[in-house]
Amino acid sequence: MSVLDELVAGAVEDQKSREKDVPLDEVKRMAFEAPSPIDARQWLKKPDGIPVIAEIKRASPSKGHLSDIPDPAALAREYERGGASAISVLTEGRRFLGSLDDFDKVRAAVRIPVLRKDFIVTEYQIWEARAHGADLVLLIVAALDDDRLKSLLDLAHSLNMTVLVETHTREEIQRAIKVGAKVIGINARNLKDLKVDVNKYNELAADLPDDVIRVAESGVFGAVELEDYARAGADAVLVGEGVATAADHEQAVNRLVKAGARVKASEQTPLASHEGPYFGQFGGRYVPEALITALDELERVYTEAKADPEFHKELARLNQQYVGRPSPLTEAPRFAERLKEKTGLDARVFLKREDLNHTGAHKINNALGQALLVKRMGKTRVIAETGAGQHGVATATVCAMLGLKCRIYMGQIDARRQALNVARMRMLGAEVVEVTLGDRILKDAINEALRDWVTNVKDTHYLLGTVAGPHPFPSMVRDFQKIIGEEAKQQLQDWYGIDHPDAICACVGGGSNAIGIMNAFLDDDRVNLYGYEAGGNGPESGRHAIRFAPGTGELGMFQGAKSYLLENSEGQTLDTYSISAGLDYASVGPEHAWLKDIGRVNYSWATDQEAMSAFKDLCETEGIIPAIESSHAVAGAYKAAADLKAKGYKHPVMIINISGRGDKDMNTAGKWFGYLTDEQAKALEANGAQGNNADGE
Amino acid sequence: MTNATASTPSGQPLGISHKPSPTESMFEKFKAADKPAFIGYLPYGFPDPEYSLKAFRTMVEHGVNAVEIGLPYSDPVMDGPVIQAASQIAIDNGEKIANVFKAVETVANAGGVPLVMSYWNLIFHYGVERFARDFENAGGVGLITPDLIPDEAGEWIEASDRHALDRIFLVSPDSTEDRLKIVADNARGFVYAAARMGVTGERSTIDASPEELVTRTRKAGAKNVCVGIGVSTAEQGARVGSYADGVIVGSALVHTMLDESGKHAVDEAAGLKALAAKTEELAEGIHNARN
Repeated sequence: MSVLDELVAGAVEDQKSREKDVPLDEVKRMAFEAPSPIDARQWLKKPDGIPVIAEIKRASPSKGHLSDIPDPAALAREYERGGASAISVLTEGRRFLGSLDDFDKVRAAVRIPVLRKDFIVTEYQIWEARAHGADLVLLIVAALDDDRLKSLLDLAHSLNMTVLVETHTREEIQRAIKVGAKVIGINARNLKDLKVDVNKYNELAADLPDDVIRVAESGVFGAVELEDYARAGADAVLVGEGVATAADHEQAVNRLVKAGARVKASEQTPLASHEGPYFGQFGGRYVPEALITALDELERVYTEAKADPEFHKELARLNQQYVGRPSPLTEAPRFAERLKEKTGLDARVFLKREDLNHTGAHKINNALGQALLVKRMGKTRVIAETGAGQHGVATATVCAMLGLKCRIYMGQIDARRQALNVARMRMLGAEVVEVTLGDRILKDAINEALRDWVTNVKDTHYLLGTVAGPHPFPSMVRDFQKIIGEEAKQQLQDWYGIDHPDAICACVGGGSNAIGIMNAFLDDDRVNLYGYEAGGNGPESGRHAIRFAPGTGELGMFQGAKSYLLENSEGQTLDTYSISAGLDYASVGPEHAWLKDIGRVNYSWATDQEAMSAFKDLCETEGIIPAIESSHAVAGAYKAAADLKAKGYKHPVMIINISGRGDKDMNTAGKWFGYLTDEQAKALEANGAQGNNADGE
Repeated sequence: MTNATASTPSGQPLGISHKPSPTESMFEKFKAADKPAFIGYLPYGFPDPEYSLKAFRTMVEHGVNAVEIGLPYSDPVMDGPVIQAASQIAIDNGEKIANVFKAVETVANAGGVPLVMSYWNLIFHYGVERFARDFENAGGVGLITPDLIPDEAGEWIEASDRHALDRIFLVSPDSTEDRLKIVADNARGFVYAAARMGVTGERSTIDASPEELVTRTRKAGAKNVCVGIGVSTAEQGARVGSYADGVIVGSALVHTMLDESGKHAVDEAAGLKALAAKTEELAEGIHNARN
């Protein structure tokens, strides 16, 4: 005799003895007199959360004694306060130590639906449940043949109760659907390691009709399992031990409710208006508590600004009159010809000219937006990190314009290879701090900026330059940069009469210029999106900043966000390398991590060699000198062309985002192409302006 | 990293453990004696793994009650120059997270309460459940998480519940009442109150804000509140110990084992001697704070 058989036999025996005291007719009369049931289906599926069915359970055959629960009504009220959508009450007395008396107490204590959980195999038990005020009953497919399952289900439905039909296998799910189950409990615990197995869940839940509510029924203990189930598509979860044995029941339920809301919030469509803190499982706020007040304030002020037409008016005015927006969309026919020579694809190529913005890069879009927020917050001091120096220059510029005190942190290696930008920032009145700790590159500059911010957060704003870091930075910086794609879309239509591009290419360090140009096209499936990371000496060399290729980045938390991260076997951040200081970063913005995981953007990389070759191509064919960062996008265009060709495109329209201009990179390029005499190169080195960090380090 | 779910001998997943917290028992004892506890920090593996085990033992033998065993991290944003330097030395000398449990055992065997302080990525990468299991098995008591706020701590709350480990979150002087409540509600063991805004490091003066923060944190529901960051002398320890349940000292202890350049460790005999002396001096000040 199996455990289930034994439990069923016991339940039937107990039912018979109850029936002697209260015959079926009496129970039926009580059932008709009972207040009508709550429609539990309305409670078990929500657009903005994962409803939690919290269970009152003293013991189970598999785990023995769990909790005394002297006052089930009090426990139910705690569950309800914590945000539970329904309460499940075990009424089986032999092994689960429950009773209908427990059920009555709970029913009287809460206003949310209550589930009678028992081994129900007779009509009497269904009537009895209704007589005690149940809104939901449980039927276990494994304990019932098809006819019995159907007649009990129909009876419960005829009494306006909702039935949670518990299944364990695909076959049982099919049986449940066949007899008309509307709420199906799915058990996807992997019996080997007892973990929730999302693949198993997907396998089980595949081709369930849309109107069936899916309840994850086993193995939910805490937020981790709930999130796993929620991401796999469960509508609701049933939790027993994880809430019944918690020290604080209300808090335990509430943690689950919040975790469900988080997952749901991150699943809202469309892609383009996706808001943090979470992009799928990425993002968040992995920062010291000391920064939370400042992040909350920033989020609040930004939300207010977003809703304020005056803010948008001021930003638009400065974008036009100070930055020089819109930046042009330039057709590049001679470059297109070279692309054709190399790849055989006859494409029309357009360049989005962020290099023509004031200060020479897209960075000013974000710096300006955040600086206006600094004014709104009433802060007086701005700090920022910079890699290539472009964000530092943009920040120093807007601070000069708005009269804000400004300090820029820059890794010592970056400061050397971008010496001209250091001079520019100082010219603009900013204090430049060379960071000599760690690897002395962008990440170390961010560490120092974060330390400064933790210390001086009262009057200081950290003007983060990319779509990374803690919420709200990834969403906010994206919002300030998305003008790039919005303009490009409009210009392509207005200037060139082309409805939409077939491909967008952008370089990805932290990822702000890429997000900026891609956002307007995220929900247009006709547009292929390509992001190119810094390949350095290639993925096998170990000297690169590729986070997305297999065998490179892993899931981790870095500088405030959960994303892909280059780390060693100990979880320590790896040294990155790229000829381009602006792409030389161990992690990547969480929205990109999400876009990679959902397959919306194709990510690949361009090596130093490829980027420098593309740099030269664009200089020679179009008279446009791109930043070395942007040259990775140009190099990527060749790779994208190959992909488009393979997809069958004959005459695609491609846009490459030229995120910045290359004047700052002349030392590096001069050395790379041997355009400098040894003497000139030496003179540059003596000034501290080294070509790239491969030399002399 | 695979994260095997812990299970009971019969193959069922582990439930919530209701084993009492040794940290809380320690504070009860100290409260009964009207004394604050002394919590000392050193990074594991600094300057090298063997030396650091001796240093942990030295601290406990000379008056530290609970030891905050730091896990060295490449990007410690809450730490000032002294701890950054020590962490880098430890990493360079082959510190491995899997060996930190030796330090946990060392502290437990010496009679101290072993706590670990770690930036979150290290634990996440090791595997949260795996860390909790190994830490519990080694006699570990609680984890201090400087860059993990309760809002992001779902996986850790679950693992710590299953393994009866303390969750020590931080609060800072500008934390709002709402934030203090979130931290107090989710904490187990004690709440770590930062004496000032900023990163770890020694300071010649301590302002009055920590006392107010301790009061506010208690009001938010925290049972035990300890103060750290910037406490470096016996006198400061005594001042803070007059109102806090525990006093946390880090950089000042680490400092005793660094040479004048601040970039290299001093040799073992001299380092341990200086550490012992500094520990005694601080213990004297802290334990007699309310006399």
